[in-house]
Amino acid sequence: MTFRWAMLAPVLTITGVAVGFPLGYALYLSLTDYRLTSRGAPDFVGLENYVFVLTDPRMWNAFSNTAVYVIVAVALQTVLGLAIALALQKQQWARDLTRAMLLAPMFITPIAVGLTFRFLLNDQLGAIPAALRTIGISYDFFGPGNAMITLALIDVWQWTPFMVLLLLAGLESIPRQPLEAARVDGASAWYTFRRVVLPLLTPVLTVAVLLRSLDALKVFEYVYATTRGGPGTETETIQYFTYQTGIQFFRLGEASAVAFVLLAIVMTLIAILFRRLQRSSAR
Amino acid sequence: MIRRLSPWSVARALLLGVAALTVTLPLLWVALASFKSPAQLNDPGLVIFNPNLANWARVLEAGILESAGRSAMVAAVTVAISVVAGSMGAYAISAYKAGGSATRFGILAAQVLPPAVLVFPFLTMAYALRLDTTYVPVIFAHLSFVLPVITWFLIGFFDAVPRSLEEQARVDGFSRFAAFRLVVLPQVLPGIGAAAIFGFTLSWNDMFYGLILAPTQETILPVAIAAFNTFRGVELGAMSAAIIIAVVPVVIASFFIQRRLVQGISGGAVKF
Repeated sequence: MTFRWAMLAPVLTITGVAVGFPLGYALYLSLTDYRLTSRGAPDFVGLENYVFVLTDPRMWNAFSNTAVYVIVAVALQTVLGLAIALALQKQQWARDLTRAMLLAPMFITPIAVGLTFRFLLNDQLGAIPAALRTIGISYDFFGPGNAMITLALIDVWQWTPFMVLLLLAGLESIPRQPLEAARVDGASAWYTFRRVVLPLLTPVLTVAVLLRSLDALKVFEYVYATTRGGPGTETETIQYFTYQTGIQFFRLGEASAVAFVLLAIVMTLIAILFRRLQRSSAR
Repeated sequence: MIRRLSPWSVARALLLGVAALTVTLPLLWVALASFKSPAQLNDPGLVIFNPNLANWARVLEAGILESAGRSAMVAAVTVAISVVAGSMGAYAISAYKAGGSATRFGILAAQVLPPAVLVFPFLTMAYALRLDTTYVPVIFAHLSFVLPVITWFLIGFFDAVPRSLEEQARVDGFSRFAAFRLVVLPQVLPGIGAAAIFGFTLSWNDMFYGLILAPTQETILPVAIAAFNTFRGVELGAMSAAIIIAVVPVVIASFFIQRRLVQGISGGAVKF
């Protein structure tokens, strides 16, 4: 069957050029001492970059910051997204308008979202701290200990709609019969949700959480717009750390090594999840 | 007759109301700020004031519309390539199970790649091929994440098309490709439209690649917006106007595609 490969060829070719080649080249870079500033051929240094970054506390700091960010953001998004999707599904009045309005944030460029909240949450000029002060609360959103949570909340503002979108689609594709059977049997709303809706929604929920987590791992714009990694290195995420190492300090070899460590971790997690999904769908 | 309000429906309305306010208030605030003078900006609670257009004049003069045009051009080229290649590939994967689950896994895996891995090779290649003053590197970088997403979406749409359609067309004497282009493709046109708009917003919104790969004098929109925050000190008013310029087109687009997106995803895009 050559037709199917002919149809697949354009995607494979473009992916090869736009993903495969840079990936291979990055792997090569991670094994050299390449610096943007030095001319001449880079030297092959083997695994030196990997040893360096794996023993660099700043990289582990960036990894743990990112982990906190992803877990807080995605957990909140899942709960809120599920609640909003359930509410939207029942909503009749001004249906399309409500949906479009609630989905809007995910279409906005993240840098604009980051800057908006940098402005709104600013200690002196921001409307939100000012409003909080009138009721006697003083909270520095970008202060030590708070900044990482604030970034996660910005992520929640922008990306809960994505969760809503996927879960709403999932809810609307649930077959009617089991729901009606539950209603006829006189099951309570909560029981129906727990025992009928949630199990049917699990595959979509899994994919939604996976996609959101993968995307949240790449957080860059919010950090760039608000804290630039501060206070100290408290909000330095992996993507921001890689950007700094590669672009600001010109150490492409090390930056590529960090990226590959991340890739290895993520791919392992996905492979495990993918196995599980395939096993559960085979059942 | 008065409809009885159950506690559930009150809670539902309350939740949606709070969510709607949470979404709109920050944007309204920024819109308001774009009409304030620097002195008025120092008073965050100020709602009623004499609006002025100085900020808007300032961003237009800084070439924000040209940046928006460049962003639109990059996004249009990226999406055009992605839709053609993506619909062919998605069909091969959906109808012929081409490459098995490895292809689907590969497509998803491409989503995982941190832009920080890919950007340095793009940068060195751009210099080596003397393409660093063009938008070719940015377009290729955007293809690396727009193409997989569009392909993935379209697999779901093609899954919903009955196979018998293509078989019928083959019986009627169409070649395989003609059957795909003339019979199957029109069935998923609405889905392609939604996927294209979604892909457009992905490209339009990206800053990371644009920051590093686009020509420094002729920036794309997200980078231009960020510039109001960094290089010239913080120009809050102008920045607010720039944010509104970036937000309005995509919010309008989202209004038109949300229903199709929900449909397309329930059609199977979220199944493996």
